[in-house]
Amino acid sequence: MKSLLFLIIVSALLISSNIYAGGFQLNIRGAKAVAMGGAFTAVANDPSAVYWNAAGLTQLKGTNIMFSTHLIAPQSSFRGVAPNIDRYRAENRIFFPTHLFISHTFNEKMAVGIGFTQPFGLGSTWDDNWPGRYLSVETTLRLYSLFPVFNYKPIDEISLSAGVTYNFGNVLIKSKSQLPTYLAGYEAFLNLEGDDMFAYGFNGGLLIKPFKGFSIGVAYHSEVNYKFEGTATIIEAPEAALGSVPNGNIEAEITTPQNIAAGISVDVSEKIKLSTEFQYVGWSVYEKLEVVFIDYNPVVVSSNLRNYDDSYILRLGGSYKANDQLTFLAGVYYDKSPVESKYETPSIIETNRLGLSFGIDAQLFEKVSIQGSYLFIRGEQLTVNDSEQIYILPNKTFNGTYNASANIFSLSLNYHL
Amino acid sequence: MLKNIKILLGIILILIVVGCDDYSELDSPTTPAPPSTGTANFTRFVSIGNSITAGYQSGTIYKSGQMYSYGNLIAQQVQTNYQIPYVSDPGLGGRLEIASITPFELYTNPSAGSPLNLTYPGPYNNLGVPGALTYDVLYATSSTTCASYVLSTTPTPNPYFDLILRNSALNIGTQLQQALIQNPTFITLWIGNNDVLGYATSGGTSPSSPTPTTSFQQLYGGICQTIAGNSTAKVVVANIPNVTVAPFFTTVGYQIANNPSIPWSSLPLGFVYQKGNETGVGSGSATKENLANFNVLVTLKASSYAPLLGQPTGIVYRGLSGLPAGIDTTQPFGFHPQNPFPNSLVLDPVEITIANTAVSEFNSFISTMANQYGFGLVNINTVFNSFVPGKVVDGIVFSTAFVSGGLFSLDGVHPSNQAHAIVANEFINVINTKWNASIPIIDVATIPGSLYLKKTVTYKQGYPVIPKEAFDHLLF
Repeated sequence: MKSLLFLIIVSALLISSNIYAGGFQLNIRGAKAVAMGGAFTAVANDPSAVYWNAAGLTQLKGTNIMFSTHLIAPQSSFRGVAPNIDRYRAENRIFFPTHLFISHTFNEKMAVGIGFTQPFGLGSTWDDNWPGRYLSVETTLRLYSLFPVFNYKPIDEISLSAGVTYNFGNVLIKSKSQLPTYLAGYEAFLNLEGDDMFAYGFNGGLLIKPFKGFSIGVAYHSEVNYKFEGTATIIEAPEAALGSVPNGNIEAEITTPQNIAAGISVDVSEKIKLSTEFQYVGWSVYEKLEVVFIDYNPVVVSSNLRNYDDSYILRLGGSYKANDQLTFLAGVYYDKSPVESKYETPSIIETNRLGLSFGIDAQLFEKVSIQGSYLFIRGEQLTVNDSEQIYILPNKTFNGTYNASANIFSLSLNYHL
Repeated sequence: MLKNIKILLGIILILIVVGCDDYSELDSPTTPAPPSTGTANFTRFVSIGNSITAGYQSGTIYKSGQMYSYGNLIAQQVQTNYQIPYVSDPGLGGRLEIASITPFELYTNPSAGSPLNLTYPGPYNNLGVPGALTYDVLYATSSTTCASYVLSTTPTPNPYFDLILRNSALNIGTQLQQALIQNPTFITLWIGNNDVLGYATSGGTSPSSPTPTTSFQQLYGGICQTIAGNSTAKVVVANIPNVTVAPFFTTVGYQIANNPSIPWSSLPLGFVYQKGNETGVGSGSATKENLANFNVLVTLKASSYAPLLGQPTGIVYRGLSGLPAGIDTTQPFGFHPQNPFPNSLVLDPVEITIANTAVSEFNSFISTMANQYGFGLVNINTVFNSFVPGKVVDGIVFSTAFVSGGLFSLDGVHPSNQAHAIVANEFINVINTKWNASIPIIDVATIPGSLYLKKTVTYKQGYPVIPKEAFDHLLF
């Protein structure tokens, strides 16, 4: 079995050498899944399966409610602008994505569930006056998803699921903008905010158990197209330049990527379960961030190339059931950056990431269990020499060295009715 | 037991990942070694010239402009000492600033700074004096010995001579004497612009002609001979750009021609102005095309009078020097011979030819002198002309257009910081070629713009808004 795992990991790496994951996608849902490195598509044995792979819901019994909250504390820094090596740190912000999953398993063949999650989030805040201020001062993206799922198991070996997602969210960008080069160094500070209350997507899942102690899981989550509408307001600008700074109503379109995850789970012994997974993320939909100022005729378009590539995440997790009350969990994953270094910006730092996690699953009472986990994410140090991000007009590019890491604490509460 | 080991391993894992150093070492930038200056030597480097050499911009001299004067930029490239008669921002008073970009509106800053380097115990390296004529390099030692005082029918002292030459304290003499007493190893000389500009900017009225070519030749020849006879310094001279490419001359007439509210087809005489030395009834007339093609030039000073075109008004004359004989203010201003556009605001075709001829003859003589004495020659005239259609330098699009062209400061005559960098690079190219030097060229995009906004007060919402391509990089 171990050699089979190894083979899958190696072949996945080979196949995917030219695709890249990461991004501002939050793959943090449920302390148990997080503790197992997110290799949960083939496991899917708690209510967070509503997201990970709803085809696993028929493994549960009765009605289950899971409340899960996560404390994400990222840290990022930039050293530059090359050839300088001055260090700038992003403000330490803390994010609390919170999820709720409810499932009901009618019988061995049929289950339904509903989830409320925050699939994309995060953001960054840099000092108002740092060198990269024309690229990013503050960025916050919060997207929410509400989705009912249906799980049907036609035969014992195969379980299928499908669902639709209703999504909404808001985006906030604060950015400074350099006024024309013939002026003696002036800038405008803008605040752009928008929301989209109605965006839709769908998902599907498959869980195959050819024999006892072995399962294969496949899950698909569609891309979601958001059309944000909002306003741009000027926080600060020289009075003489006010007529030249665009503001008013704005529109922006962002498509979040589709995800395909495929994994296997093996019960090595009565007590030990191992799981691995390959998640493909269709980031190439994110080509540019474009804000349209619609009050103008013709409209003013502010466009910034992002050119994300498709990417992947490779996950490995395990659990050790010490006794009926206590299970220890651990995991590791590798998340490939979806961005070529020349498009790297400080708004959301994208680097190859390694995640290391462990946790504990405790059955406190007959109906109540609790899971806690800790995940450390280390971003690979990224030195950009070929930046195409212009931080000073007309042509000074933002080369330098990025570092990012994050500490994530998760807590889930399960209640079995 | 196994449980305890797992917990222990977990704790160790935390310590490893949290405790390890987040950052690998980066190499700090190294300062470049001084460049080779070949057979040229910049140990004692002086600049002789006028307002351009002084770094005068937008109507005054101020530190944030003076520090980007071409002489100082060259001095920085060769890493030599270069003393400048700095004046703190916003300069000696009257700096032009932008009150509003769209719609465009200028403002004169009433505040003044003060001299910062008055106590420097010796002549400055930057000896450029705003307003200096060729005569002044040889003869002016103070505000009352300069050409504007001793040669003019309306004597006007030029206080810049006192500020920069400081002869009441130093008692060394003229720009030229102050340069030579420093035993210079390298000299730049850029003079003669004002010998034409005074004529041109006054619409050919004051003075009524450029410095005669024979006088210019004597004066300029005298300067060159004095330098060559008293110094072993290497010398680079720059010639004079055609005054008529400056936005001071090319902005307002073009706007009049393209003003949709002017009924060109029903104007029998078109744009009517005083030509030559007329002071009353005007006999000059220009069509829309004459103005659009720069056959007749209207100066930037006329900007505030142009909106009065067609109105029965005498405001313009009362604002200048009183209502002259022969003017009938009931006639449409600028469209009728009895209420013509004033002489001092217009350069007619004859006057344009006179100015251009003077530049051409002066430049011919400058070239002759450079050859005769083995001086390097920077052909600034050609350089400036090449920017008329627009040209990209280090990613910035420059043209001779007012404000947005980036080459000229708000007075429409004097170069901007970035134009100084372009000029400095032309000097460096000549030096590198002539004396086998390898002085690095300046990246013009690293030089900040020099147009100031009236004030930088925080925003109030609700203003009219105009698209600007400068905002392409608004977002992350």
